[in-house]
Amino acid sequence: MRLPRLLAFSAICLSVACGGPPTGGAALAYYESYDPRSLDPALSTDVPTGEMATLVYDGLTRFDPNGNLLPGLADRWTAERGGRRYVFHLRPGVKFHDGRPLRAEDVRHSLLRVLDPATRGGRAWPLHPIAGAREYAAGTATAVRGIAVLGDTAVAFELTEPFAVFPKFLAMPVASVVPAPVPADLAERPVGTGPWRFVAWQHDDYLLFARNPSYWGTPPEADTLSVRIVPEPLTQAAEFEAGRLSVVEIPFSETRRWEAQRPAWLRRKPALRVTYVALNNRRGPLRDPRVRQAINHAVNVPEILQTIWGGRGLVARGAIPPSLPGGDTTRAGYHHDPAEARRLLAAAGLANGLDLQLWRTGTNVALGRVCQAIQADLEAVGIRVTIVVRDASSQREAARQGEADMAILDWYADYPDGDNFLYPLFHSSSFGPGGNYAFYADPVTDSLIVTARRTLDDAVRTALYRTIDERVYRSAPWLYLWFPVDLWAVQPWITGWEIPVIFNGQRWTGVRRAP
Amino acid sequence: MLGRRLLLTVPTLAGVLVVTFLLLNVVPGDPVADMVGERADSTTIARLRAELRLDDPLPAQFGHYVWGVVRGDLGRSYITGRPIARDLAERFPKTLQLALAAMTLAALCGITLGVLAAVKPGGAFDRLAMLVSYLGVSFPVYWVGLLLILLFAVALQWLPPSGSGGPAYLILPALTLGMRSIGFLARMTRGAMIDVLSSDFIRTARAKGVSEAAVVGRHAFRNALIPVITVLGLDVGNYLTGSLLTETIFSWPGVGRYVLTAISKRDLPAIQGSILFMSVVFVLVNLLTDLVYAKADPRIAYD
Repeated sequence: MRLPRLLAFSAICLSVACGGPPTGGAALAYYESYDPRSLDPALSTDVPTGEMATLVYDGLTRFDPNGNLLPGLADRWTAERGGRRYVFHLRPGVKFHDGRPLRAEDVRHSLLRVLDPATRGGRAWPLHPIAGAREYAAGTATAVRGIAVLGDTAVAFELTEPFAVFPKFLAMPVASVVPAPVPADLAERPVGTGPWRFVAWQHDDYLLFARNPSYWGTPPEADTLSVRIVPEPLTQAAEFEAGRLSVVEIPFSETRRWEAQRPAWLRRKPALRVTYVALNNRRGPLRDPRVRQAINHAVNVPEILQTIWGGRGLVARGAIPPSLPGGDTTRAGYHHDPAEARRLLAAAGLANGLDLQLWRTGTNVALGRVCQAIQADLEAVGIRVTIVVRDASSQREAARQGEADMAILDWYADYPDGDNFLYPLFHSSSFGPGGNYAFYADPVTDSLIVTARRTLDDAVRTALYRTIDERVYRSAPWLYLWFPVDLWAVQPWITGWEIPVIFNGQRWTGVRRAP
Repeated sequence: MLGRRLLLTVPTLAGVLVVTFLLLNVVPGDPVADMVGERADSTTIARLRAELRLDDPLPAQFGHYVWGVVRGDLGRSYITGRPIARDLAERFPKTLQLALAAMTLAALCGITLGVLAAVKPGGAFDRLAMLVSYLGVSFPVYWVGLLLILLFAVALQWLPPSGSGGPAYLILPALTLGMRSIGFLARMTRGAMIDVLSSDFIRTARAKGVSEAAVVGRHAFRNALIPVITVLGLDVGNYLTGSLLTETIFSWPGVGRYVLTAISKRDLPAIQGSILFMSVVFVLVNLLTDLVYAKADPRIAYD
């Protein structure tokens, strides 16, 4: 084939291949960094899937952008027998997007589906407090004895033990209600009761949603919402600056530039997230609390926060973020004191120093710089640190297996409650995959955490959270860093959008685009 | 001849299968960890591992996989549960579109630059063209892509920054992806043309009064094409297997990004399926290049 003909052929192929639907034009435009795993809420193990499920589906309860628990499909609920039994009453007149009315049976069936081993969701733990749920998930029972349908309008849950936070568990995307029988292509074409109806999904490209006019709550202000898939943070910012995204999260490395150039567009809010270095409490010299305390004294956290993290955070003196009940910023902290660190190391018999590995991910460049600063600070007191760089999957695997001395990590809230920063992170039954990457184990802490979970009285529970957090902090299972502050830019023509403290707290219903 | 060549690709692809499979099993990281998310219980992890046969001995796992491939089944993604063949079929047209655009651009610009530069070696245009080609080969894709976005999408607002849609979406990624080829092709074409232009038959053509345009355009150019086709063929093979960086910077929903996501999530069947698919494409493009040689130069024949 001659070159001109080859070129002509290419040109034809090109014109045929072009012409997909335009992605712009939607009233509101949001984005995700990667394609959702699925639009089946039973598979919502990642943030994009959870956020998309929140648009299309409802749970019995839900969160607002500030993390407050609100009624969802259940307009009221009661805790009975000291928090061992919950009865949720369904809101009347709710319809799925396909017109079917919501029944209590849909709720029961949706939750069974999440627990069913055949679903392969992998994230059924929010339902595990229900009596018989674990047996059903393991395939040793044919029904979940703790879920009972009361007529067409109520569902009752019997739990294995009293559990105060249970209504918050039901606001997580995985507990969304889907119609029964479940449409075969639910994962690709979701049908829910939520404020947005599904319109289209081009994998790795965009999703499109339209206003659900018959939504049981206040329907969305805007007609359409598109969600673009934009992996590169700098491209996300460019898309925003070109006016094609309604909001954008500002990367930590870009903080200064945006603060200087577009201060009026910026919004900030403390996130329900903690950045920390898990110290492996079962490994070598780190078994000694004095060594772990020495590490906390050796690292100048406020300075690193200011210089490397753009000041976008609050120094952590505990694991519970200060915006949650139980969080405490007034606690006496491990102030930066290299001499004290050396004294503690000497007391632990390590006057000659020690060698440790600090694992980080290759993708998180900002945390990588933080690691270098930590390395320098620890070097100054005689702790020689080797930084091990791996991809996120390998780093997490090593930390879960207890093969890393230290690993720098972020913990994002699944539900806005102090329990989410204690039970998974410090209870001994959460070792490794459960979230306790420090392998911290203390029988007193364990029993206090369990007591708190059983306490229905909010004030008492909050006091317990504070006590537990303090107790754990004193034995320094982590190098405590900070609670990040989220920074977003919002287009001047967008109103009604608030930074959600929890990923599923923003449903885009009150958001409007000025004409 | 074609049948024999096609048959020869089978051992190549089998080798790819084995190497990919072994490599993926040496790499640390647990695919189930990404299925269950940040917080999970060990029972669920153990059950999923068993269901996915991850605890079977390696030869058994491999046998199971190959048996699927032989029946034309690339399996399902661990993460999404979708058939991998369908995922690839959905994304390949996008990669093809970008590859053709980049190749067209590269061929047009690169060859033109090269031919014009060769007409007067050492002249002003030649020096300019070679400077352009130096820059094209040396600049990192990532940097150029972001600069193009900043200039044309943010500052001038002429083109969309990223995404896919109409032809306007194609320009920046095609330029970014094709840039290296433009530079490379320009140098290749220039070199080949200078060689050919100094050969005897060109002197003969000039001596019998053929116009300079016809000498350069018809006689010299056709003879200089062989090395150019080689380069073009290799580049097309590379483009068609997805361009990780360009597709990521420009949010282009192609094969490259699919593989990248699969790797970061340790989605073993998706990685294996994609690599196999890419190898097939690469082998076929190379085969095609060889056939084009024979067309361009009748002296080349395959038996």
